[in-house]
Amino acid sequence: MDVQKRKQKLREMFQKVVDPLGYKFSPDEEIVDFLLEQEVILEKEHGHPFCPCQGRTGEREHDMKIVCPCIPFHRTHFDAMKRCWCGLYVHKDVDDPESLIQISLTELEELQKEGKI
Amino acid sequence: MILLPIADDKILFYSKSMGGLMSKEKWIYAIKETEMKDGEKKALIIDGQKIVLIRKGREFFALSNKCVHMECPLSKGELEGYIIKCPCHDWRFDIRNGEFLDARELKVPIYELKVSDGNVYLNIGGRIP
Amino acid sequence: MKKIMMYTLSTCPWCKKAKNFFSEKNIPFEFIDYDKASKEEQEKIREVCSAHGEGVAFPFVIIGDDVVVGYNPQRYMKLLES
Repeated sequence: MDVQKRKQKLREMFQKVVDPLGYKFSPDEEIVDFLLEQEVILEKEHGHPFCPCQGRTGEREHDMKIVCPCIPFHRTHFDAMKRCWCGLYVHKDVDDPESLIQISLTELEELQKEGKI
Repeated sequence: MILLPIADDKILFYSKSMGGLMSKEKWIYAIKETEMKDGEKKALIIDGQKIVLIRKGREFFALSNKCVHMECPLSKGELEGYIIKCPCHDWRFDIRNGEFLDARELKVPIYELKVSDGNVYLNIGGRIP
Repeated sequence: MKKIMMYTLSTCPWCKKAKNFFSEKNIPFEFIDYDKASKEEQEKIREVCSAHGEGVAFPFVIIGDDVVVGYNPQRYMKLLES
């Protein structure tokens, strides 16, 4: 399979998914290209374009929720960061993805308890 | 949507997703009512459009047969109640309105449908949304 | 000097950045790439993640007794200095 072509195809399909959810591909083209390439490799090896920054467990129920774009299954978490975990997608109003930090699940819970999100 | 009345009293509308001016109603015969059993799914290509037809009790539903995620055929998915689960990544859709259960903003287009004299017709001109 | 252990993925750019952060500062660290690990090792890593209330998300950085999930150089620095 042509990796470049598959990257392009994933980009086209995923764009249609993330747009109505308020997300776009990160303006950081270098990271987008790297992550898409990893997804093509993961798809080739494991059958699905899994998130390159989350681990598979072998349980289908868990693993299907980390197939890209996984935003629908982690909405509150990703909305709080204005990006998805691996940073392939960011909120549409984000111009400077470097400024966004990853927030862990326990940090998210704390923010929720404090009423900050 | 721009509606344009034309001579034969039909209505044309401009749809970007459908590639230009469309007749709003384009009813096409799909299948005989008796050809499908309760809970059955059928993949059809009508007028170049991939459609999955589903029978649920006495009701029929028609959706685009391409999952909004990676275009997998929903016709090969599992049906439970009014929910169809895509065979590729388990994305679940309500066959009554096409909505994706985990993010309602995402929808599989659905088609209007009518049963007349034991025949099932689809309005493939007016895909919703 | 606090002991640094990192669980990472070979496919994740933020894991690479986390590794680079410590390498560039000549701070010794150990790491295991989850995707390259054996099933038993993976299970142990998942147990550690879960014991800290986290999912299976990387990088998972253990600095002394503290845990930082994600690439967060400011927090790494703070924990190293504290």
